[in-house]
Amino acid sequence: MNFLYANTYYIAAFGLIFIGLYIVMAKRNLVKVIIGLSFVDSGINLLLISIGYIKGGTAPIFSRPDISPLKMVDPVPQALVLTAIVIGVAVLALALSLVVRLYQEYGTLDIRKIRGLKW
Amino acid sequence: MVNPVLLIAVPLGLAFAIPIFGLISKRLEKYIPVVGMLFNLVLSIYLIPKALAHPIVVSIGGWSPPFCINLFVGPVGVFFSAIIALVGLLVSIYALDYIKEGDTGKYHMLFLLLLAGAQGVVLTGDIFNLFVFYEILCISSYALVGFLRDRDGLEAAIKYLVQGSIGTGLVLTGIAFIYGLYGTLNMADIARHINSIKPAANFITLALIITGLGVEAAIFPMNAWLPDAHSSAPSSISAILSGIAIEVGVYAMARVIFTIFGATDILGFIALIGIITLLIGEMSALKQNNIKRMLAYSSTGQIGLIVFAFAIATSYGIEGGLFQILNHSLSKALLFLAAGYMIYRTGSMEISSLEGMGKKMPFTSLGFTIGAFSLVGLPPFAGFASKFLIVKAALIKGGGLYTCLIVLALFGTVIEGAYFFRVVQVLYFKGKGGTLARQEAPFAALLPFLVLVLLIVFIGVYPGPVEHVLNSAASEFIHRIAYIQGVLR
Repeated sequence: MNFLYANTYYIAAFGLIFIGLYIVMAKRNLVKVIIGLSFVDSGINLLLISIGYIKGGTAPIFSRPDISPLKMVDPVPQALVLTAIVIGVAVLALALSLVVRLYQEYGTLDIRKIRGLKW
Repeated sequence: MVNPVLLIAVPLGLAFAIPIFGLISKRLEKYIPVVGMLFNLVLSIYLIPKALAHPIVVSIGGWSPPFCINLFVGPVGVFFSAIIALVGLLVSIYALDYIKEGDTGKYHMLFLLLLAGAQGVVLTGDIFNLFVFYEILCISSYALVGFLRDRDGLEAAIKYLVQGSIGTGLVLTGIAFIYGLYGTLNMADIARHINSIKPAANFITLALIITGLGVEAAIFPMNAWLPDAHSSAPSSISAILSGIAIEVGVYAMARVIFTIFGATDILGFIALIGIITLLIGEMSALKQNNIKRMLAYSSTGQIGLIVFAFAIATSYGIEGGLFQILNHSLSKALLFLAAGYMIYRTGSMEISSLEGMGKKMPFTSLGFTIGAFSLVGLPPFAGFASKFLIVKAALIKGGGLYTCLIVLALFGTVIEGAYFFRVVQVLYFKGKGGTLARQEAPFAALLPFLVLVLLIVFIGVYPGPVEHVLNSAASEFIHRIAYIQGVLR
């Protein structure tokens, strides 16, 4: 129980990543596949954030003299996540616009029916 | 001295300025990539002797490494940056006449962004920065694969996008682990502390990053996207994807394995995977009737050979791998560009429809033939020198594993010869000349052909100066202590 309590954020992050990977692999609808990709993204972002997180911590700015440096949250993972979110949004937007075009061409979102290219 | 950061900043800035130039005149847009890449080529060649003498470390923001993002412009960096600029310049000249339909402004912008991303990956010294530039490269290539908006292109683009973003997701997870373990993102700083952590934790991190980068590099189990994407994209984009994008993936893998982790114990496995990739690629290429699919599978095979050469991990082996990268970039770009105009003329991608092209488009066919011969490894061309170096390296390394694998690699080369010679035979010796009139590709396409052919022949006949650069580049990969000391003085 103690292990679960200490690692809640990591467990949640990997849970999200694996749920996302499952969706990408198992679902037949392209929009759902893309939702799966978005799950993976969120999981990774949560993982990054939880690396630098301190419970009850605050921003690393010496605004008041009574804040100890031990209570400051590492800002680097937050900067990384900010970048990762922007990249994720770009990929999702591109993916959805491709899906719109594919629907116009094929009239379906089922990946079993979108098989113009042979393997 | 010119700041090497301009190698990234100029293409990036020009890419986003293209819509503004488009407001002034639509005809101006297509010349911007040519200007940007010409600048990069001149600057890279100017930097080569300086980087060979002493690696240039650029700290951004005025802090000293490891507290800033730094660029490491060593022999490997300038070598790759010169290849990217050269192939990018030639392909952008080709695209002046080739890209006529669709939203051409967006094409040129994405094209330049792709090249800026590639330049960033090979020059950066910070692993998260590498990821960001890698994503710039990937996102612009997803968009460019679907540029024509036809059925095939869209389907290939969405396949590429799904697999590619899973791959980059794995890379980012690996980077999160690295930051959690070491509290730093600077490659040299990570490399310095790499032995202070339990090997199991390092192994999981390494496996995540290698798998993720392997998707873009098209290593065997992750190469399903490549034949579709490379064959459905416009030919100029196929040339860039085959000639630059997958090589950048291999570079990133080599940097992670050699410099950051110093993981020499997994190289036997990597060599095995390389040879499997080679054989699967070549055998799939053999049975293709579509010329662009054939070239795409051949790229998979070549990547397998390059990965194998890197996995030998001696000075000769890495030199051979880098030489093969150079040869593959030039030859495969030439092949895709030449095939592009042949397909444009005949209107079909079937190999049988190219009958008699040797008489109708003599220069284009000659370019295709020389590219094919160089890729197979016939003597007067660049491919001979690089394959010879790889075979020599594997035999010197010795041991049962590497000897068996190089035999398999040579078998793969024989298969490669079989399908390339079949195409050359169709070009020159089959058919009685159909209804098409004799008409050569336009000048904007012939100029890149000429430059590429001359370079392939020149490097094949006189490999001395190239080998000089490659030698220093190989020692940059092998001597990781020197890399660490170079950055963290």
